[in-house]
Amino acid sequence: MPRAKGRSALLTFASCASTALSLLCGARAPLTAAPLTRPIASYQISCRLDTEKKTIEGTELLAWTNITAKPAPTLQFHLYLNAFRNTVSTFWRESGGEHRGNRLPQSWGSIELTRMMLADGSDLLPALSYISPDDGNPYDRTVAEVQLPRAVAPGETISVSIDFRSRLPRISTRTGWKGDFYLVGQWFPKIGVLQDRGWNCHQFHASSEFFADFGDYDVSIDLPARYRGKVGATGVRVEERNLPGDRVLYRFRQESVHDFAWTADPEYIVVDDVFREPGVADAQIHLLLQPEHRGQQARYLQATKTAFSGYGRVLGPYPYSTLTVVDPPWGAGGAGGMEYPTFITGGTHRMAPASVQSPEGVTIHEFGHQYFYGLLASNEFEEPWLDEGFNEYMEDRVVGAAYGSSHPVLTAFGFRFPIGIAIHRPLDTNRRYFSVATEDVLASAAWKFRTRTSYGAQIYSKTALVMATLERLIGTQTMNRALRLYADRWRFRHPTTADWIAAVHDATGRDYRWFFDRTFFSSGAVDYAVVEAKSERWTPPKGLFESDGRLVEKPPPELAAAKGWASVITVARLGDVAMPVDIVLRFDGGHTYRSAWDGEARWKRFRVDRGPRLLEAIVDPSEKILLDVDRTNNGRLVHADPRAASRWTSRAVFWMQNLIDSLTIAW
Amino acid sequence: MVRGHVSAAGCFARGVKLSLSRPYLAASLWLIQLLLASVLVLPVSNALHTLLDHSSSGSRMVADPDFGWWETIRRVHPDLLGNFPDAVESATSVEGVKSSALAELEGIGATAISLCFLGVVLHAFALGGIFGALREPHGSLLVFGREGMRRFPAFLAFTLAAMAAALAAYRWIYLASGEAWRDRLNDLDTEGQAMVLTAARLLAFLLVLAAIKLVADSVRAIWVARPDLPAVSRFFAGLAAAFSRPARLFGVLLLYLLSGTALYVLWIVLDPSAGGEARFALVPLILAQQVFVFLRSLLKVGYYAGVSEALTRVPSPEYFYVPAPAIDEPLALVDRAADEARVERPTGSI
Repeated sequence: MPRAKGRSALLTFASCASTALSLLCGARAPLTAAPLTRPIASYQISCRLDTEKKTIEGTELLAWTNITAKPAPTLQFHLYLNAFRNTVSTFWRESGGEHRGNRLPQSWGSIELTRMMLADGSDLLPALSYISPDDGNPYDRTVAEVQLPRAVAPGETISVSIDFRSRLPRISTRTGWKGDFYLVGQWFPKIGVLQDRGWNCHQFHASSEFFADFGDYDVSIDLPARYRGKVGATGVRVEERNLPGDRVLYRFRQESVHDFAWTADPEYIVVDDVFREPGVADAQIHLLLQPEHRGQQARYLQATKTAFSGYGRVLGPYPYSTLTVVDPPWGAGGAGGMEYPTFITGGTHRMAPASVQSPEGVTIHEFGHQYFYGLLASNEFEEPWLDEGFNEYMEDRVVGAAYGSSHPVLTAFGFRFPIGIAIHRPLDTNRRYFSVATEDVLASAAWKFRTRTSYGAQIYSKTALVMATLERLIGTQTMNRALRLYADRWRFRHPTTADWIAAVHDATGRDYRWFFDRTFFSSGAVDYAVVEAKSERWTPPKGLFESDGRLVEKPPPELAAAKGWASVITVARLGDVAMPVDIVLRFDGGHTYRSAWDGEARWKRFRVDRGPRLLEAIVDPSEKILLDVDRTNNGRLVHADPRAASRWTSRAVFWMQNLIDSLTIAW
Repeated sequence: MVRGHVSAAGCFARGVKLSLSRPYLAASLWLIQLLLASVLVLPVSNALHTLLDHSSSGSRMVADPDFGWWETIRRVHPDLLGNFPDAVESATSVEGVKSSALAELEGIGATAISLCFLGVVLHAFALGGIFGALREPHGSLLVFGREGMRRFPAFLAFTLAAMAAALAAYRWIYLASGEAWRDRLNDLDTEGQAMVLTAARLLAFLLVLAAIKLVADSVRAIWVARPDLPAVSRFFAGLAAAFSRPARLFGVLLLYLLSGTALYVLWIVLDPSAGGEARFALVPLILAQQVFVFLRSLLKVGYYAGVSEALTRVPSPEYFYVPAPAIDEPLALVDRAADEARVERPTGSI
């Protein structure tokens, strides 16, 4: 690796001078009354954006503490931007050159380390090498390891000074530029997480996000003056000043977070607002809106406040004082729908009708990450469902309660037309799971899914349906108790799936491991069906019956005189996974029989003799088991009702006539 | 015959009037479409009755579509519709659909496409009947059939040529421009610009499509109106006629499309299919649907009559109009082109 050059050294000096000045001015006073958590990896970063070259040159002063019980002879760093370095990186290979259905532009990104020194002056750069712990890809450069001259003892804190040069790609996946717009994420050398079993520092995969230790961030950004007032970032802005050469410097600080991202766009409309609710501290909202979406300002803000309130009531108050909401411009969709600490990106379309619930849905979803990704900070590489899936479940709850059902739009030739079909949360919004229900075990590392479609369907949708099913089994109040217990107990502590299961156990007083074994840790599908439901007039039995100690060919009077109907109902478990289900039998005259079945056997049969006429049998009538892959077979009528089929046949013929008619118009 | 200037609206109105005076023409179109669509009645009906009649989901489906049912059926029974909905969605997407999508069609979706092609062929026959019958003073279903069969080879050729041109326009105007802009679309500053670009692509395609249609319809109209000319001359006279009155022809087409769209808007607003039996019982619903299709057919015949009016109401100096003989009179060979002589000379009287 090349050594530091003059410019970089100058930058380092400027950074140190800036830090010293800050210390003298007392600007490093805590932003909150008491630290939210003990810092493990804290960063002071000074960087300069070159908008011509699309590069960032920066200097980073990392203070890192070894909190394990073992000495650390090495350090491992994430160099995420190297995922965009070439087409043989692990990210590019796994993505197939696509992200969210869009082709990745061949605009390369990279991050180079030009200097790495310990506080005692030891040069670490010669000892740096690239490793690929996940797939052994020799061309992947997203994880670097350095050998230390001396192991870091347990409890010891070291300082590492790093100069780096980041080249940003044309935006495609969470980070980069489009014109003058910048979303700068995963842009600096970031230390991995040292655990007792060693470094947890995974490569950058196409289907994974992040994992990092908490710390305090103090970041100074030097950019052209045309960005004045149009910069947003993680944390609180503590400084804005002019620099020579028609440039401007912004400085942001935030304690107790585990990442830092920033954005700049001269086109932003900056809207400031406050979330205020009795009993919780105010939070400043900074909305950075595209002029094209000016008309959706109120929708963005309303959605943000709905999210603050909805998540806060279940998971506890939002502990930070600020939240920045970014609205990416057209052509930068890869920047949308992303979360960083105290910083989220939304996304909308020019003519998005309110019924589509966008930007509402994405804003609320990304805010939700402030809890699962931000505060709980689970390992998204290894247990991505704890963030994305749990958040999807909560999003369905919050959006559903605030906005009700959504209505999709029919997109034709790039234009959107609302249609009247209702999409209900959480079932309809997560139906993509059913298509790949048996493809993968949900509890798999993010990059170990058969396809990226399966990853999305399992991690987001299946988890959401699992959680919603659990809520229906234990009740909403108990579910809320479990969630709050989990959120309070593990805030800033990186919980695992076992911790969630324990929280459910503690909240319910019952062991639900069986439930998670069959959902999180299984690739089986749930499918219950009423396969038989018939009802015939009761006919007196024939044959030999005992009467006065003799066998006579006459049924006893209670059978001979009985009237009514004989009904037979068979409910079957067609899927591999068993769940407890309710069964309802509806009879003539308004009589209803309800039964609970543990669902373990392959089938269960009910016989009702001399009863009223059976009308209908339904398994899981309350739709508790949302994981059921085929609900069309859950209820069976004894007597056929041809109305729906007839009406839809007439519709099909009618529209076929219209299709033929329309096609023949053209020629 | 000479009436001076005739506006597009006048031509269209007169066309609709002619259509109303010969309802059997619209009825023929309606019948063709109904017969083609009815091929699907049994497969669709049987599948739906099997899936819905004993299902509790059925009661929810009487009134309105159920998103969950639709998603489940597409997933659990891929044989029913195949990728037909996806292909339709792709065809109307910004990117468009490639012809390779045809190779993936199966089930009812594939049948529907085949029926549409058959519909195109029968439409060529119907157009011969319509244009021919419109020029007869005493039209009848018999005239429609006779004229349709008489013009069928030529009209089928026109139809296939127009269809090929329309598909080429889709491929080389809409799709090609989309491919050319695919990577640059995101570089535009705003979504508004991207929408304008897409709209421009769509408009260019539609304008070319309209031109193709008008040329084809002009050729058909002149083909019938000028039986005195040789086939090649008639063809080129038709081409020339399209370019001699483009505004009027385009106006007639626009009025036809607008009135057709208005009918659809009315249908969607009233939506007799929705709301279940509380709004329309099954039989009234089917009647309403067929009345709607019949009205569309009336408009379509009106359009063709309007085109015929637009091209022939004001005689051009280079030709004159010879009325076709009445159906019950022997046809005179002198009125027919040489290439039609064999068709025109049945052994007995018509």
